[in-house]
Amino acid sequence: MKTLNDDRVRSFEDRLRGWSRRPPALSAAAARTRVVARLPRTSPAVPWLRLAAAAAVLFVLVVAAWLGAPRPAGEAGSHAGAVAQVAVGPDVVVWALDARTTVYFVLGPGGQERGGA
Amino acid sequence: MAQSSVDGTTTDLVQAAAAGDRAAFGDLVEAHWERLVRLARSVAGGAEAEDVVQDALVVAWTRLERLSEPAKFGPWVSRIVFRRCLRANRRQRGRIALDTIPEPSGSCDPEASISAWQVLARLAPRQRAVLHLTAVEGMTDAEIAPVLGITAASVRAHRRRARASVARIVGGGRS
Repeated sequence: MKTLNDDRVRSFEDRLRGWSRRPPALSAAAARTRVVARLPRTSPAVPWLRLAAAAAVLFVLVVAAWLGAPRPAGEAGSHAGAVAQVAVGPDVVVWALDARTTVYFVLGPGGQERGGA
Repeated sequence: MAQSSVDGTTTDLVQAAAAGDRAAFGDLVEAHWERLVRLARSVAGGAEAEDVVQDALVVAWTRLERLSEPAKFGPWVSRIVFRRCLRANRRQRGRIALDTIPEPSGSCDPEASISAWQVLARLAPRQRAVLHLTAVEGMTDAEIAPVLGITAASVRAHRRRARASVARIVGGGRS
C-alpha cells in the first residue's frame, strides 16, 4: 500500500533525476583535453621499468658498499708484517711487494745503489 | 586532441590505455565524464564535483595496471570517484550544514522549498551514492555494491535508511 512517505520519496527521486541531469559546466571534450594534459608522463603500462630501475639502484648501492668497505686486517697488514720482520738498517729501504716477494735497496755512499730480491 | 587509433569496446580502450596510449584514455574520459560528474555532484555537491572527477581520472590512469578486468572499467573508476568524493566531504565537513542548507520551513510546503542537494547534503555520503545510483543511473544492488565497496545487502540497508531520511526531511520532520 502506498504511503505519504512513499509519495514524498518518489517525488524527491524525480527531482533528483532532473537535478542530476544538468550538463556539466565542462563538456566531455574539454574534460578530455584537460585530463589528458594532466596525466603523468610515466606510462602506467611499464611497471617492469620501475622494477628494473629499482634493481639497478640496488645493485649500484651494493657495489658501492662493497668497494667502500674496509679490507680484512690480514690483507692489508701482511705486507707491513713482512716489512717488520726484515732487519733494516738506517740505509736500507725494504718494499714488500707481496707475501713472498720482498725487495730491498741498500743505499751506498756516493749515490751507489745495491739491492736484491 | 588526438583521437585514439583504438576503435572499439571499453576493454580495447582500457588495454590500449594501460599500454600507455593517452588518446585511448582520453576516449574513456570522454565516454564516462558526464556519468561520473553526476555521481560526484550527488555525493560531493556541485561546487567540487568536476574537480573531484578530474583528480579521480588522473589517479585512475596511474592505477590502470591494477585493473584486472578491463570490462569493469566503469564501476572501477566510479569507485575511485566515490572515494575522492568522501575525501572532499571530509575537507568541507561542516561547511555544507552551516553555509548552504536552510532549515525547511514548516509553514509552507517544505517539499517545494528545498532543493535536491539540500536534501542529499543531510544524508550520509553512502546513502547519497546509493540513492543516486538507484534513482538516477538505474543500477541494481549487485551493480552498486562494487562501486561503493559494500555488499548488496548493505546497499539495500543504506537505501532503506536514505529513503526514511528523505521522507522525514522533505516532510519537514513530519512522517
